[in-house]
Amino acid sequence: MSKTALRVAGLSFAASFACGIAGSADAQLVARKDISSAMALTMAETAIATCKTNGYNVSANVVGRNGEVIVAMRGDNTGPHTLENSMKKAYTARAQRRSSGDFGDAIKDNFTAGALHLTNIVTARGALPIKVGEDTIGAIGVSGAPGGEKDEACAKAGIDKVADELK
Amino acid sequence: MSRIGLRIAGLSVASALACGVATSANAQLLTHKDLSLAMATTIARATIDACKAQGYNVSVHVLGREGQVLLAVRNENAGLATFENSMKKAYTARTFSRSSGEFAAGVKGNPNAGALFLTNITPAQGALPIKIGNETIGAVGVSGAPGGEKDEACAKAGIDKVSADLK
Repeated sequence: MSKTALRVAGLSFAASFACGIAGSADAQLVARKDISSAMALTMAETAIATCKTNGYNVSANVVGRNGEVIVAMRGDNTGPHTLENSMKKAYTARAQRRSSGDFGDAIKDNFTAGALHLTNIVTARGALPIKVGEDTIGAIGVSGAPGGEKDEACAKAGIDKVADELK
Repeated sequence: MSRIGLRIAGLSVASALACGVATSANAQLLTHKDLSLAMATTIARATIDACKAQGYNVSVHVLGREGQVLLAVRNENAGLATFENSMKKAYTARTFSRSSGEFAAGVKGNPNAGALFLTNITPAQGALPIKIGNETIGAVGVSGAPGGEKDEACAKAGIDKVSADLK
């Protein structure tokens, strides 16, 4: 290679290096992990089966990072509202990054809390965020058991089932 | 028992009998069989697997007798519209007790067909009614394969999986 060619090559290398740095600061794609439908099915089935074992018929929803429904399951012999309610609880847990019950407790005496006026936000216990570390990638909501804490226990069982893969 | 007592007893029996007949003719409860969540889950999984085996990623809905969602699965690798579309196809198949593709063929060339103006009715192939004999108890809808006939083949595989229990 000639001296000139070497210089050109060196220049290219330097330029691409500089661009690489600029890229990572301004325009690099966001790398994220998301819930697969297979994982969502496992969570929902486990939650419903757990409540069944406890003697309760429930419906369950698993929503993804943007609150979109990944899996919705209407439990046998459940009230007609449970599918909707489990979705709204899940949406709330996803949006708030905490259990829907904790959200409900936090705004208990504040009827004008802004979040209450958003679509699909509810104050009922029974949903938990699904997290990878500190990153909330979705939520699972359960409705139908006699008491939100009983719904929440089944939601927890659903997440526990796939806990090893949430990384 | 006195004679009067016997007569009263006889009257009671006669009136009870008359009422019994009236009841069975006018006000007897309906008895029917419905899909369980377990069966809906089996159908959905078999449907997804059948399409997956052919290289297609599909979203699936299984609806019950009233068109209510029993199970919804969003495929992370399928197009955004497939979730909604699989529901509408299934609703169409449930409503008309035939495949959504047959419905589509039936209204072809008739943009003013009344059914096309109903909510959730779509003239797209890819859903089949779930039947016990001639009674439609639900439907499975599929969307995401390149062609409605391919969606429908997967729906059929899903129903075939439980056909022995549809009685």
